[in-house]
Amino acid sequence: MEKSGSVDSVESLCSSTTTRSDRSSGTRVSDTELRSKGRAIEKVYKDTSKGELPLLPEELVQDSAKDVTYICPFIGPVRGSLTVTNYRLFFRCTDREPVFGLDLPLGVLSRVEKIGAATSRGDVSYGLACKDMRNLRFVHKEPEDSLKKSVFEVLMKFAFPVSNNMSLFAFEYKQVFPENGWRVYDPLAEYKRQGLPKESWRISKVNDRYELCDSYPAALVVPVTITDEELRRVSSFRAKGRIPVLSWIHPESQAAVVRASQPMVGQNGRRCKEDEKLLQAIMDANAQSHKMFIFDARPSVNAAANKMKGGGYESEDAYQNAELVFLDIHNIHVMRESLRKLKEVVYPNIEDSHWLSNLESTHWLEHIKLILAGSLRIADKVESGKTSVVVHCSDGWDRTPQLTSLALIMLDSHYRTIRGFQILLEKEWLSFGHRFQQRVGHGDKNHTDADRSPIFLQFIDCVWQMTRQFPAAFEFNEYFLLTILDHLYSCLFGTFLCNSEQQRLKEEVPKHTVSLWSFVNSQLEEFVNPLYVHYASHVLFPTVGIRHLQLWVTYYIRWNPRMRPQEPVHQRYKELLAKRAELQKRVEELQREAANRTASSTSERAGSPTRSITPVQTFV
Amino acid sequence: PTPGQTALPTYHGDLSPHPYLSPREIVVNEANFVRKCISAESCQDDLWGKLVCTNFKVSFITHNSLPRQCTHRLLGEHDIPLACVEQVVTVNDVKGKQKILGSNQKLKFNPTELILYCKDFRIIRFRFDEAGPESAKKVCLAIAHYSHPADPQLLFGFEYVGKRYHGSTACTRVVCSGERMNGIDPGGGMQTTLFDCSSDWDREIKRTGASEWRVCTINQGYFISPSLPEFFVVPVSLADQDLKQYACFFYSQRIPLWCWNHSSGSALVRMSNISDPQQQRKVEQRISSAITKSHPLRSDVFKSDLDKNLPNIQDIQAALLKLRQICVIDPFEESEEKWLSSLESSRWMEYVRTFLRHAVEVVYMLESRNVPVILLEKEDRDLSCVISCLVQLMCDPHCRSLHGFQGLIQKEWVMAGHRFLDRCNHLKKNDKEESPVFLLFLDCVWQLWNQYPAAFEFTEVYLTVLGDSMWVPIFSTFLFNCPRQRAENSRWDWSQQFSLKDQTLFNNPLYVGKIATCVQNGTVKTFTHRRSKKNYSSTLRGLPSALRNGSLGPNDTLARRNSLVLRLRSDLSQVREQQETPSERFIRDFFSRPVDLQGLLLPQLLPSHLSVWKLYFLRWVPEAQIPQGGPITAFHKLSVLTDEIDMLQNQLRQYKGAGGTPNNLHAEHSKMYFKATSTPHQPPAPPEYLSSSFPFSPVGNLCRPGILGSPLSKFLNGAKIWLSTETLANETI
Repeated sequence: MEKSGSVDSVESLCSSTTTRSDRSSGTRVSDTELRSKGRAIEKVYKDTSKGELPLLPEELVQDSAKDVTYICPFIGPVRGSLTVTNYRLFFRCTDREPVFGLDLPLGVLSRVEKIGAATSRGDVSYGLACKDMRNLRFVHKEPEDSLKKSVFEVLMKFAFPVSNNMSLFAFEYKQVFPENGWRVYDPLAEYKRQGLPKESWRISKVNDRYELCDSYPAALVVPVTITDEELRRVSSFRAKGRIPVLSWIHPESQAAVVRASQPMVGQNGRRCKEDEKLLQAIMDANAQSHKMFIFDARPSVNAAANKMKGGGYESEDAYQNAELVFLDIHNIHVMRESLRKLKEVVYPNIEDSHWLSNLESTHWLEHIKLILAGSLRIADKVESGKTSVVVHCSDGWDRTPQLTSLALIMLDSHYRTIRGFQILLEKEWLSFGHRFQQRVGHGDKNHTDADRSPIFLQFIDCVWQMTRQFPAAFEFNEYFLLTILDHLYSCLFGTFLCNSEQQRLKEEVPKHTVSLWSFVNSQLEEFVNPLYVHYASHVLFPTVGIRHLQLWVTYYIRWNPRMRPQEPVHQRYKELLAKRAELQKRVEELQREAANRTASSTSERAGSPTRSITPVQTFV
Repeated sequence: PTPGQTALPTYHGDLSPHPYLSPREIVVNEANFVRKCISAESCQDDLWGKLVCTNFKVSFITHNSLPRQCTHRLLGEHDIPLACVEQVVTVNDVKGKQKILGSNQKLKFNPTELILYCKDFRIIRFRFDEAGPESAKKVCLAIAHYSHPADPQLLFGFEYVGKRYHGSTACTRVVCSGERMNGIDPGGGMQTTLFDCSSDWDREIKRTGASEWRVCTINQGYFISPSLPEFFVVPVSLADQDLKQYACFFYSQRIPLWCWNHSSGSALVRMSNISDPQQQRKVEQRISSAITKSHPLRSDVFKSDLDKNLPNIQDIQAALLKLRQICVIDPFEESEEKWLSSLESSRWMEYVRTFLRHAVEVVYMLESRNVPVILLEKEDRDLSCVISCLVQLMCDPHCRSLHGFQGLIQKEWVMAGHRFLDRCNHLKKNDKEESPVFLLFLDCVWQLWNQYPAAFEFTEVYLTVLGDSMWVPIFSTFLFNCPRQRAENSRWDWSQQFSLKDQTLFNNPLYVGKIATCVQNGTVKTFTHRRSKKNYSSTLRGLPSALRNGSLGPNDTLARRNSLVLRLRSDLSQVREQQETPSERFIRDFFSRPVDLQGLLLPQLLPSHLSVWKLYFLRWVPEAQIPQGGPITAFHKLSVLTDEIDMLQNQLRQYKGAGGTPNNLHAEHSKMYFKATSTPHQPPAPPEYLSSSFPFSPVGNLCRPGILGSPLSKFLNGAKIWLSTETLANETI
């Protein structure tokens, strides 16, 4: 089921890839050279000046063109050559020293279009809109021969493989890593780690074949008192069959975080006895409280409007000991619009004089604030109120995972470690069916698709905000979060493909693609926050005021050349750690030496004259 | 015990029924059974005690103690120096009356409440429900009267300073040096240069290699200009006789002052306006040509008109008032909604950026164009102080050490005659003269610090405390308008205010650690980022993000200077040409190279890269506090590590025969506030009392008016709505 087992030794890894490169086309540089590191950047540049391209295993050059002009919004037009592979777009300037380049995975492209008609000289302008907060513009002379395809037509084909009935590059990429990231998350092990009490909760196999709910995982945790038959009834009452199931349980109070989708109440106020029983059972499973909170992520107006479409929210008559709270978080369309405005404000240039009010008018930070505030309320009810909570929005796959996973990060320090965070993503986002394919639109040229929305980006932004407030509480660094976002779009790894666990299984994604975690976990040191202090059972309550939220400039403004990426504190800390290790070694050496010397000096007190040179301890 | 400690016993604040009084401090009035309000929402945490007004401070004496914070030697946790009181407001909530009290005023009602608005953004409230109405009234009037001194002699600092130093100047230097932190002076055995004697200037000339400049003594005894220092530096080609002649043309006889020399030989000079328009050209020319003569390449002088390019002092004051309004006066949740746009309309951040940018322009002239620069300002006593300091901070790593920085302030603010007395409005006489120029400067420094934290020897706590020192009149540096008034009394002696332990909060572990790593073996060792054998990123990452969209490679700076590639091709006329000025190019060049923390530092000037100085402006706001979080948690971790390194080095020294008993010695002498534990491999968790406000605490320091007694619903709109009562209960102390 999984792709070729992990390889332990570096040697075997190198040899296996070199042989593969031998078979491939001539433009290929050897993989050993690719992987040579440290001075990677300069290396790449030197290679490119010779006209060579750093290629990944199974990456093949599809087309290239000389005499393309990249219209850089920061330094103006740059002439060079453009190469398109089945994975990336590579632009390298030819007419200037120093070397200048662009290197981006095709997955980040959301739109490629011709702008205007050809000029009298036959120049055509192309605009490339990217998912990662930038737009690129190229000017290129159309080929004389009308039969020959322009490099941009090739680009369009490979940028949107799904629309062209091709497979994503993730299915080609065959890099082998020492660790297999597809094994990071094991639901049973995770629920065991949480200390799931067997007397009140059970792991149901009712969704083993994804028949109860095709967007839910196979393993579902429900109260022991509810039968599978009752669950089936509940599933017809919850939108998309997404029934209330356990996400996390407090190790001491046993207050639970439960997630669901909206109840199908409709205009007539339909009720479902099994659903009511299920929520009562969830409440009863926690002896500490006789109350529970239902957090509806939506603004109350939206929740009410959903009744027209058959949805709605829990009425307090039907759910007697439950208190319903609306969290006022807007839907995917509002968030998409907000990010669009943000992109206008940050790219390419920032307007100096109205930066803050422009930023405010995007409402991006306001949305971040509401999401964090909602998560904080959930975490607080569970931790301080010892109350179980149910979280849902409409379908329970956008705002719900944002809220539950942020609340879980606040509540459980395990999720603040690198591997714990991977588990959290695998569980709350991937297994519970956040519709990554739809929201990101991997390889799909339909850029106006109303289902696209930066929900996951928003979540990562919230996590970043928390790492700013608690710089020592997270094991991972900023680069880890950036890497996740880069590969959310890159389509190099299989991790963020498809919409649900069921789809991923059907497409055999774990078998045919590499997991992002294979890459990450094979070089963990790159992603470690050196300031991390592990303190167990420590709950984080971030401050969600707008005063403490800031725009994540290293993500949103990173294309601006005036932006210097640096983490001086972390870097300095690493140097200090190295220094400490060195000193420790020397002290230990001297200690040993001194011990030997005292041992020997006691035996031959008369001593040799040489010892008087080293006065250490001799004056005693 | 050090001499400093015998002179000023540490304030303990415990159980003493009387206020701790400094020498010459006297109690003026007091009232018993006063309640100090602690939290905005209820009075259950209020503290009972005695409210005392002395000629130096407002003191509140109580048996209860507040959460731990940095303790001041002269001021208890509830004390406010009178100089820090901005406004005294008395309220009678039964009658619905309110009055702002000035000096020598009458009060027609019995106050039930006293609100003190402080210059450091605190708002402190006392209630007199149980106090005698007469004594309450009297203490309010006393506070109002004494916080509006009629003349400078009544500022307590004058008396205090007089007593402390009069006739004992001989020993003060000893006191200072004896108190040096942990024996190993970070500045290499130096202390803060005061620039009050000729030799200090000589050393500065030598240090900066300004060989064509000399110390001028014509102002000895302040015969030429009362606002200039007695000693200053001029081009060698200008004779004393000429200077005396020119002096009368300048605004208040302020002869142009040399500030500093760039290593290329270009000087930075500050100059006031020439009052006589007929002489203007001639005098200016003479001065300029003298400066040109002192330049190794005889380069022409560049004049930078600060009045034209920078906000004036009233603008700066207006900006701070607006900033204060949104930070501490407006209800939290209301200001929250429009925080960013209100922040923008306060213009404070814009001004911070304008000053930084102007300084960068000057740096460009010195560094890249290699020309001497004159900073022109009408009086040469406000804006030039900021710009000249910022330029030196960016160019000269010496100024980023603690003593170097204090010397810089001494040189460019104190000696150059910044009117602290007027700008602080200590006498509350002329509001038009009040302006937080120095605070704006500190904010600019903080921005630099925030972008390059490892380049500075000091911390942001130091910068904050330095800003607060303006309101503690003991610290005479900030009491006077010019060096003549200040005379002998100016000292940078932090042990007057803080214990040695608390002073370690000033030490930046990143910088201290740097010294520790460098000094070892006498060789400078750089630790390159250690990479593991295998790295898969190089290919996946592609080009580093900075290079991916148009910026240039790291080793290309020389090539670019004469590169022609920016020229547009004719067929691309529809593309807007990027008009990059040479100084923009200079900045871009700088950012395309790896930064050298011991070399030139330029700030990121994108508005998105400047932040609000939260520790200074938001430290008292309870809703804005991050419990157990904030940058201090990183500081804690770094401090502990630096301390471990220090400990190990001590051990090594011991083994090498330096002797002593380093382990005991270490505890006393550690440079770090947070120390290593005996089990170094188990880093201690940050203490629970840490918060983003540390070492300050919002508890009892910010009680906005209008919240007490208001309906509960109003509070429920507040930010803490997200936390349940259970959490709030745990949070309060």
